[in-house]
Amino acid sequence: MSRIRALVLTGFGLNCDIETAYALKKAGARAERIHLNHLIDGVNRLKDFQIFVIGGGFSWGDDHGAGVILAMRLKHRLQDDILNFVQAGGLVLGICNGFQVIVNLGLLPGFEPHQLRRDVAIIGNDCGNFRDQWVRLGGNPASPCILTRGIDTIELPVRHGEGKFYAETGVLERLVSSEQVILRYTTTDGRPAAGEFPDNPNGSLGDIAGICDPTGRIAGLMPHPEAFNHCTNHPDWTYRKEVLRRQGKSLPEEGDGIKMFRNLVDYFA
Amino acid sequence: MAERIEISLKDHLFDPEGAGLCRRIKEYFGWHVGRARVIHVLTLDTTLTAEELDSVRREVFTNPITQVSACHSLAGDFDWAVWIGFRPGVRDTAGSVAIEAISDFVGRSLGKDEAAYTSKLYLLSDARLQRVQVQTIARELLANDIIQQWRIYSRSEWDSANGIGVIVPRVDLAHTPAVETIPIPSDDALMQLSQERNLALNPQDVPVIRNYFLRPEVLEERKKAGLWLPTDVELEAISQARSDHCNHNTFRGRFHYLDVTTNDALVVDNLFKTCIEAPTLALQQEKEWVISVLWDNAGVARFDAEHHYSITGETHNSPSNMEAYGGSLTGIVGIYRDIMGTGKGSRLIAGLYGYCVGPRDYAGPLKPHLHPRRLLDGVVEGVKDGGNKHGVPTPFGNLFFHPAYLGKCLVFVASLGIMPKSIKGLPSEQKCPQPGDLIVMSGGRVGKDGIHGVTASSETYSEHTPAGHVQIGDPYTQKKMHDFLLEARDEGLISFITDNGGGGLSSSIGESARFSGGAFVELDKVPLKYEGLDVWEIWVSESQERMTIAVNPADIDRFLALSRKHDVESTVIGRYESHGKLHITYQGKTCAYLDLSLFSQDFPQWEFDAHWQSPEARGLVEPVVSEPTDYAGLFHALLGRPNMCSREWIQRQYDHEVQGGSAVKYLVGRERDVPNDAVVLRPILDSKRGLAVAQALNPSYSIIDSYAMVAFCIDEAVRRLLAVGAKLDEIGGVDNFCWPSIQYDPVHNPDGRYKAAQLVRANWALRDMCLAYGIPLLSGKDSMYVDGHLPGEYGERHKVSGLPTMQFTATGVVADVTEVLTMESKMAGDLVYLVGATGNELGASEYYDLLGYVGLQVPKVDVRLNQSVYRALERALQAGLPASCHGIYRGGLAVHAALVAMGGLLGMTLDLSRVPLKGPQFQGPDAAASFLLRDDQILFSESCGRFLVTLPADNCAAFEAHFQNLPCACIGEITAEPRLLIKGVNGSILLNEAVVRLKTSWSRMPAA
Repeated sequence: MSRIRALVLTGFGLNCDIETAYALKKAGARAERIHLNHLIDGVNRLKDFQIFVIGGGFSWGDDHGAGVILAMRLKHRLQDDILNFVQAGGLVLGICNGFQVIVNLGLLPGFEPHQLRRDVAIIGNDCGNFRDQWVRLGGNPASPCILTRGIDTIELPVRHGEGKFYAETGVLERLVSSEQVILRYTTTDGRPAAGEFPDNPNGSLGDIAGICDPTGRIAGLMPHPEAFNHCTNHPDWTYRKEVLRRQGKSLPEEGDGIKMFRNLVDYFA
Repeated sequence: MAERIEISLKDHLFDPEGAGLCRRIKEYFGWHVGRARVIHVLTLDTTLTAEELDSVRREVFTNPITQVSACHSLAGDFDWAVWIGFRPGVRDTAGSVAIEAISDFVGRSLGKDEAAYTSKLYLLSDARLQRVQVQTIARELLANDIIQQWRIYSRSEWDSANGIGVIVPRVDLAHTPAVETIPIPSDDALMQLSQERNLALNPQDVPVIRNYFLRPEVLEERKKAGLWLPTDVELEAISQARSDHCNHNTFRGRFHYLDVTTNDALVVDNLFKTCIEAPTLALQQEKEWVISVLWDNAGVARFDAEHHYSITGETHNSPSNMEAYGGSLTGIVGIYRDIMGTGKGSRLIAGLYGYCVGPRDYAGPLKPHLHPRRLLDGVVEGVKDGGNKHGVPTPFGNLFFHPAYLGKCLVFVASLGIMPKSIKGLPSEQKCPQPGDLIVMSGGRVGKDGIHGVTASSETYSEHTPAGHVQIGDPYTQKKMHDFLLEARDEGLISFITDNGGGGLSSSIGESARFSGGAFVELDKVPLKYEGLDVWEIWVSESQERMTIAVNPADIDRFLALSRKHDVESTVIGRYESHGKLHITYQGKTCAYLDLSLFSQDFPQWEFDAHWQSPEARGLVEPVVSEPTDYAGLFHALLGRPNMCSREWIQRQYDHEVQGGSAVKYLVGRERDVPNDAVVLRPILDSKRGLAVAQALNPSYSIIDSYAMVAFCIDEAVRRLLAVGAKLDEIGGVDNFCWPSIQYDPVHNPDGRYKAAQLVRANWALRDMCLAYGIPLLSGKDSMYVDGHLPGEYGERHKVSGLPTMQFTATGVVADVTEVLTMESKMAGDLVYLVGATGNELGASEYYDLLGYVGLQVPKVDVRLNQSVYRALERALQAGLPASCHGIYRGGLAVHAALVAMGGLLGMTLDLSRVPLKGPQFQGPDAAASFLLRDDQILFSESCGRFLVTLPADNCAAFEAHFQNLPCACIGEITAEPRLLIKGVNGSILLNEAVVRLKTSWSRMPAA
């Protein structure tokens, strides 16, 4: 059994926990799905884990702003545990609703270490609706981010109604200059989406799909890497398979999203 | 004191909700509104101090980066303001979440009288509208007066100091709960009571019910229990149990069938038993993968050696017709509960949808309660919130427009689950409450919502239908309960579980008590949303998100501890017994004491006259129309028709990938927007095994013959699964019937006997097809009374009956998801094969409909030929020969060839002279018919049993070898130049059109 323990948060309307735990397991972690109340009650302790993932879902139904209520509860009940976890070198990942949560919690962008501060927001999509589609993302080789190490480009699904990354200009500039922008939406041929729908599916400023803290150990993104855990998740897989088949090759079975989770696990190797 | 918090986006930020409103106002009414902003209003009826209120506002409800908020009005400049809020008692999930958040923030729980209410204020600027126009926007776009209230303010009326004021929609029932005893001196008196109380009793049941209360031994026992006359609780319980919705009295009825043309008569005793139960039981004997059918909330079939899957489907027509969003939301989360309550509980893995509505651009004189455009937008949104917020993928669905659905829309919902084969060593699909087990109600609380929902859906929609039966589902609460129940299941704490849907506790306890042999219920223990409910209302309320669970007393502490962990309310409200009674008390006093045998005893069978008139006798003929010359124009028109065009706008709103097991999506192709035949799920992530799912719905054929309608649907569903690689031997089905009223009445339903005959024939087709293809019916439901009475232009009302409709949902296990196929062409140079024979079968086709005809020759399923073809196709797919496979359905070869080309963004050539036609060489039923077809007939015929397959030239010989003596021919080629080029029978070019142009016609949004 792996010595790298990953905690996937559950409860209060979070979902995606089964596939997130599965992706972590594929990447070599010992993943456990833990209910928020068990963290609060002390049945489980964050400090026993190396990786803390808040995944997708609709915590508290996303009423009053996506991720807002869960962020508040984490802040009130687990602030010290979380800050200590980060201080001790743990990795935090927020995916979709989890990204919204850690942004509202103020763990990201984390300009000042060991402080919670809200500097950015993730708000309603410009298209005005929930949208499930695959996007192409460009990575940032200059970023300290652990999650996206070695990822130049990757395709993943987005599935959200509130995914527009927003911050004031000064904050955006700081994120860029400190290489905290980890993923941006691009066109299918890899150019910046430049805000154009549907390559940029939600109107995110700067095409930003994900950011990290200055250490690179806390990361959040709107797309779902755990939903590309197998080659058949990709919308074009039957086509790719046929192309490869005619060349006498076969399609690799693992989905590209596992790479991100492997980056987290390998960090502790 | 009640306070109001207003929250809005900072002024410089784009407001997508406001922009969407401007767009919809333009689409719906054609009016210009330059700018709309939305202010979110939170009204707090709490004891918070001023300081607490201020902190809560700033720290909880305002995002400092993007929002501003205040305890006063934020409205700046505007032309019109529209406030929309819920009516008292309507489920306000955001309100209850706010209370939860506030108590978390202030660190104390709030009192039971403290509440929060959410509402919205829309500010319209650059809006030169009259008040009556703003009223229209409020009534027909923003609010539904059944659940919401609104106020309209012009700029000049606006009180800028107080804004909308403080509006508190608190439920205040100044009513002391009581139990009424009701004398029923005669059958007529009971019938009258039924009408007054909306019990919807069938006249034939009335004497049985009355006689029960007159039986001496019953009277004796009642006396001992402290009762005499029937109570309102008892009569309501009986009404629920006897409703058509719960009992399927129609399907279990006795039909006197007469073919009016031939004078052949026969009696059909019980459609359910003869056409659904008997074939399924027979097939269950043959197929060891059929695990549990015909009794539980859903059917159960084997998925792999360690898991079963469960599936069921139903409709939510009446509520959706009145409140589209709430109706469909409640429908989808309701069908989820059926899966959660199957066996000892299943984990949800998918939800499916099907909508039948009036034309989106309907501009005729009839006035449906909701215009079809709004109705469709509402039902689409309801399933979106229900599925997405539940963490359940919504991968597949149907949409069909027809004016017959103006009277009542159809909203089909289906869901699938998965469960381990055994739990603690016991079969997971089995369950039974033991006498002594505690009755636990988990989930939401009980309010007045949904009272008489079951009986209302057993009636035709009229101006007397009680509005109270509309409710708003709460996927958040239910998702928590879902996670809780699975954990309790895995610990072996559940001996029985079922959901509270139609009929509420009355149905869930009433039905489960029959397994144990009795139940004792203390209704005063049931947690209520607010005080003032009568006892019978608690018993029959359909408040959502509740399950009824039987728990052994030894396990109850652990069960309740898990419930608390998951923040789910669970309450012990009684226990199962073996005394044969349904015994209900309220505050220690008995208010119902009924023999359970009453519910299962011999109520008279409902009787129906069913008079069939053949299509010929009804005067249907083939149209006299010559072959068209402008095929390009025809293709563009056909592809753009509402029932043919792209549905991407719906599917993209639905999370179809959550849970990480999406293996084939509904939208495929190079631009990921062409619908695939079926979707494939990989529900167990570390297994390659998949579950293929598809649905078919094609009510048009009912206009000619409902037998053909059902046969076509089943054949289509089967082909949809085969196209991705599922196997004929392991296909399960779910039938969902929606039918207009079939009870003949010379004035109110003069064609009731014909509609009854249509129902009989539809069931015959179901039986015949299931037996022929070997499809057990894993689950199914019927929904009758698809009729509406719509106001016309002059104050008159028109009865509008829906088309006789059946949606068929089919599932098939695939051994390896990496071997499945999608429908789009893959490579230039591949060859195009047409598998299956084409006949002159254009009756009720999309083509005839486009030209304004019905016709006569409806597609007929040749099951013997098809079986041979399907087996051959299975083998060809198994051998990995094709690159794509797609069935030919509504719209015929023309539409489906175009879709294959559009999916691949490649060209295609077709030579119609090579298309295999129905004829004697295949021994089809039409063997004697004329075989030579015109080009338009070949292109637009909707003959069953056909596929378009593409494959590399190298595989041709091997492919053809599988189809010896079967209709199968190479009819064209995939080309690099993306044009669709079709050569007619005589060699002339019929069509030479750019695929991208065809796609443009197909992918435009349906007429707004």
